[in-house]
Amino acid sequence: MKTRHGKLAAALAVLLGTTFLAAASFAQEVDSKRIEANNPNDWLTYHGSYNSYHFSGLTQINTNNVKNLSVAWIHIPGHSTRGLQSMPLAADGVLYYTGSYSRLFAIDGASGQVMWSYFPELDDALVARQTHSPYNRGAALGEGKVFVGTVDGRLIAVDAKTGKPVWDTKLIDSQKLTIGFTGAPLYVNGMVVIGSQGGEWPVRGKIYAVDAATGKLKWDFQTIAPTDETKKTWGNDSWRVGGGGGWMPGGYDPETNTIWWGTSNGDPLYDWSGPDYMTTGARPGNNLYISSVLGLDAATGKLKFYHQENPHDVWDFDSAVGEFLMIDRGGQKYVVHPNKGGYIFVYDRSANVKNVWPIAHNINYVKSIDPKTGELIGRRDMSAGKQADLLCPHISGGVSWNSGSYDPKTGLYYKIGNEWCMHLEVLKTTPVTEPQVQLDIGANFTIAPPPDGPIYGHLDARDPITGAKKWEVRFPEPPLASVMSTAGGLVFVPDARGTVHAYDANTGKELWSHSDGTGHQGGIMSYSAHGKQYVAVVAGFGGMASDDYAPTFGGVFKSMPRDDGALVVYSVK
Amino acid sequence: MKFPARCLTLFLLCAAPVVPAMAQPEPAASNLNVEQLFASTCGFCHSDGGRVAGKGPQLMNTKRSDDFIRNRIKHGKEGAMPAFGSTFSDADIDKIIHYIRTLKPDQP
Repeated sequence: MKTRHGKLAAALAVLLGTTFLAAASFAQEVDSKRIEANNPNDWLTYHGSYNSYHFSGLTQINTNNVKNLSVAWIHIPGHSTRGLQSMPLAADGVLYYTGSYSRLFAIDGASGQVMWSYFPELDDALVARQTHSPYNRGAALGEGKVFVGTVDGRLIAVDAKTGKPVWDTKLIDSQKLTIGFTGAPLYVNGMVVIGSQGGEWPVRGKIYAVDAATGKLKWDFQTIAPTDETKKTWGNDSWRVGGGGGWMPGGYDPETNTIWWGTSNGDPLYDWSGPDYMTTGARPGNNLYISSVLGLDAATGKLKFYHQENPHDVWDFDSAVGEFLMIDRGGQKYVVHPNKGGYIFVYDRSANVKNVWPIAHNINYVKSIDPKTGELIGRRDMSAGKQADLLCPHISGGVSWNSGSYDPKTGLYYKIGNEWCMHLEVLKTTPVTEPQVQLDIGANFTIAPPPDGPIYGHLDARDPITGAKKWEVRFPEPPLASVMSTAGGLVFVPDARGTVHAYDANTGKELWSHSDGTGHQGGIMSYSAHGKQYVAVVAGFGGMASDDYAPTFGGVFKSMPRDDGALVVYSVK
Repeated sequence: MKFPARCLTLFLLCAAPVVPAMAQPEPAASNLNVEQLFASTCGFCHSDGGRVAGKGPQLMNTKRSDDFIRNRIKHGKEGAMPAFGSTFSDADIDKIIHYIRTLKPDQP
């Protein structure tokens, strides 16, 4: 029996090895043309393709058979501190994804067998000193490599076939500045683009473009006052510690060779200026380019255009959400971008505002936003001290940093809105930059339900241009993960409790659900391997938004681990 | 919350180490403004200045010992609490512990 088992194992090893080799040998290099072509068998970049639709064109799993969807395989990455937050990618039947500590895995998409893994050696002492760490939100593919950022300020390229490191470029002095990279990079035309953390740290966050072949820096864009003119929008030289950065991957418009990227908030997060924010407070002025969407020339990194969604943002309702949906309708080319404050901005392809509509119902940081100009109307600028009224939405946002999904067949945008608020006391702070930069919030706060009822979240099916709502599904806790729609007429929502739901894209009727055993706060995507469609979702809770769930909601969240996770892959047998 | 001058004086007196003859010089007193520190750095997790549970535990009325708190501030906890041992002096940390011990509920 022993011999027989040995022979069987050897045969299996050969078979599996052949499978891996076959999968690897089929692999063609990923480039911008291939990403733009958007073959539904693949998911080549964080947002699915450059159009940011988070939509799968595959139809094998559809409204008729989704009831038969079941687990095909599971992968446990281990050491999932603060859960799993990444978006898996797939090329030629091979699935790539990242875990905490920027650990990379390449997995046979059909069998679930690990082909290789790469665990970068990080500065553990630095990681121990960081707050927004050590989670990672994804990788990028291009030119036979997999690219991943690290929380100690590096961008790493790994050979997509072997998992061997190709180059490792230090971009940020994280040991001094504390910030690093948590977001996925974006591959564009021979470059890997990635944005730093920033926001509520007294630093000047940047967006970097690195040569995909060599790892050498090609250009960077200073998000905080890159010119003398923009320095004038920061009184008292406050640009020196302005925050900014852009920690989620943006989009790309191939027609104009323009990278669209959203920037973070300013430092301190809650300025105490009150209504005279142009002349008083910690950072007097509009503070370019915090909380803005930028159009950068992909070749040079030069700014082509911008729109500052929240001038002098004092609420952390930044523009870092990386969705830039490129939608053509009625001869007009639009870009749709959700702002964390709960408004959806609709632009033309030069960031001129075409419409603004709210997806969250509880918003009071402004009375409204002019849908024609994007101007904030009735903005609420807080002075130091306890705020008498709730501030809505909560700091975790009217929308999450995770993505919605646009289905070009239904013409609907499926997006989660969050209904939650906060009690707030604004305090004057002094930025700490020695010996190492420290977080600089500028307030004490607690989460609170909206004035008219409990906290909840809702999946909306909306017209992305007008905001007209077709249907809505409510959740007792805001779902934090990304949403995916498919050509099979389905919308998938991984919720915070740990259940994945599939809805009819036209009606919102629930057709299927399955528990992954722990909460979701990352990506979901679909791909094809050996002619079969799979749906892959990461499960694993813990982090800046989800850590509020246990004290706020209790129940299943009380015992939900915040250092665990799994990649769960579904198919129809 | 204001930090009463009387408390601070009392704290500094009580916290003054017993210095034997020929001992090392007394460590520099902390200039740390702990109230501000909570608003800038700690309060993201320890809500309302540490008075209520948030991402991190409630600190007001904590049953943890001074040694436990000191160790946690210095070394952190993986995936939950950053390590501040290279940022704050022992005197700073003593001051933070004192702030925690004297936390009172918010006045309505």
